[in-house]
Amino acid sequence: MENEDELFYFVPYNPEHAEAIGSENYSYWKSVFRNFFKKKVSVIMLGIFLVVFIFTFIALSMSKFDPLNLKTNSDLSFTKPNQEYWFGTDNIGRDYWSQVWYATRISIELAGIVALGECLIGITIGLIWGYVRKADGFFTELYNIIYNVPRIIYLTLIALVVGRSFWIMAFSLMFFGWLPMARNVRNLVFMYRDREYNLASRCLGTPIHRILLKNILPYLVSVIILRLALSIPGTIATESTLSYLGLGLDVNTPSLGILLRNARTYFLDFPYLLVFPAINVSIITVAFYLAGNAFSDAADPKTHR
Amino acid sequence: MVKYTLKRLLHGIITVFIIATVVFLLMRMLPTDYFFTEEQLMKFTDQQKEAALNAAGLLDPITEQLGRFYLNTVKGDFGISRRLQAGQPVVKVIGQKVAISTKLGVVALSISLVLGVIMGIIQTVKKDKIPDHIGTAYTVFVNSVPHLVSYSLILAFGSRVLNFPAIYSSRSHTILSCVLPVTCLCLTSIAGYGLWTRRYMVDELNKDYIKLAKVKGLSSRQIMVKHILKNAFVPLAQYLPLSFLETIGGSLLVERFFSVPGMGPLLTDAINRYDLNVVQTLVIFYAVIGVLGVFLGDILMMIIDPRIKLADREGVR
Repeated sequence: MENEDELFYFVPYNPEHAEAIGSENYSYWKSVFRNFFKKKVSVIMLGIFLVVFIFTFIALSMSKFDPLNLKTNSDLSFTKPNQEYWFGTDNIGRDYWSQVWYATRISIELAGIVALGECLIGITIGLIWGYVRKADGFFTELYNIIYNVPRIIYLTLIALVVGRSFWIMAFSLMFFGWLPMARNVRNLVFMYRDREYNLASRCLGTPIHRILLKNILPYLVSVIILRLALSIPGTIATESTLSYLGLGLDVNTPSLGILLRNARTYFLDFPYLLVFPAINVSIITVAFYLAGNAFSDAADPKTHR
Repeated sequence: MVKYTLKRLLHGIITVFIIATVVFLLMRMLPTDYFFTEEQLMKFTDQQKEAALNAAGLLDPITEQLGRFYLNTVKGDFGISRRLQAGQPVVKVIGQKVAISTKLGVVALSISLVLGVIMGIIQTVKKDKIPDHIGTAYTVFVNSVPHLVSYSLILAFGSRVLNFPAIYSSRSHTILSCVLPVTCLCLTSIAGYGLWTRRYMVDELNKDYIKLAKVKGLSSRQIMVKHILKNAFVPLAQYLPLSFLETIGGSLLVERFFSVPGMGPLLTDAINRYDLNVVQTLVIFYAVIGVLGVFLGDILMMIIDPRIKLADREGVR
């Protein structure tokens, strides 16, 4: 006790000491990308996805036929793949190459638009749901009402009452697709908003947008990306199901569901009618799903060191 | 507990009530032509039509119609099918289909539950070895590739290579013709059960009591069966009632794909041909299944695992 003075004295500024106790320069996004690029498989998957995605647009301009104005020619029906018709022709002699690639493009476009819409609606509603305590009851009830009836019923009802087109389908898919995203965001906001470090931040006067961006958003990013990784293959699947059932897109628009629906009776005898669209869509969905999952793992701040 | 159960039940009823109201109002937004059978539509003059609509009470104010709709629904009177099977009560039309869908669904559910859980166990035991990777690859494939594509592949393989009938038939070789639809139904649910079994088991694997069991000298087989599987099954059990009830509803895509005359095609047929009473009833039916399934799931989980108290995890699942 005799040396109390020694404990209380000014320490001069010393850059080396400051370095020793300060944290290293941590950047969230840098760590995300570092973690992501560590896994070779996921990078390859992302590469495959991008290549097919870009090729979708090139393939159509390479084709000698306009996918929306294909000539029917019964003499040419069921031509096996050859130099003129790279993927062969379908039952009424239309070029299959342009149909398959057009269908792929439609699928990707629809999935992309729907995923974006779902994200916007889902995150906004999820944030309100999680932050505003009074709104919890209302949104929970809304969630239950929409979630308890199979989505396909709402989609069919919309097709019946409003009609069928690309945009109607995109909007109705968005309208029922935000639920899981909103629920996940809500649960996370609920979990993290009153954690001690956020309370501390608030007490220290950190502005709310900074808390949201720096403390809560990193937890949301991985969930949002995971939902995207699930939503894009999901939308492609729903589109094909609905079109197959005759409730999706117009019969004359080549889309995955319509192609398979037309081919249903023939692909047992002419397997290429099934193989080409199947390979195409499988590569895209699997690659995207894996890359998305890996990115979502990398975006989880818990895995950062 | 009783109070909680009653509260949940009441909540469920309100949910179904709202859904029924919305659907009823949607149906009334359609032109009145859809209230006649196709035959009547051709023959009737405008006056006859109006008289018929009047007699059926369809020109009354919407609130009055709504009131009558609630009353009839509570009484269990869902009206008659006007277009699919003209004049038959809706309940009867649905009843015929339910049997077929349930039969296929229950078989598929049992098979996939057994295979899925076994797959999950094997994956956990052989974690990070080849069987685990194969299982994961299967799950990824099923979850990402559109079902329509995988069903087509099953159909092509099953009917070309293995010579199973490509469409369902109720007359000849019924059992053989069920093989492919059931395989398709199983394909997805095996992946689901496998994935969740593996995830829950791996979660349990890292817990302290498992270390204790190892220290006690239990064989890894005993640990797997008596401790891990039992605990991992609790969260799985939550989804069982819903999956079971959903088999009654049938699968839209599989049944349409293999021309099974079950509940799935009924809905699209009813919608495509504007059989409004059938559509209305089916929506209420699916809503009841959904609400009831989730409710029963929570109750079941509470019964098998007494540690779980539901009152505090109310709201969002």
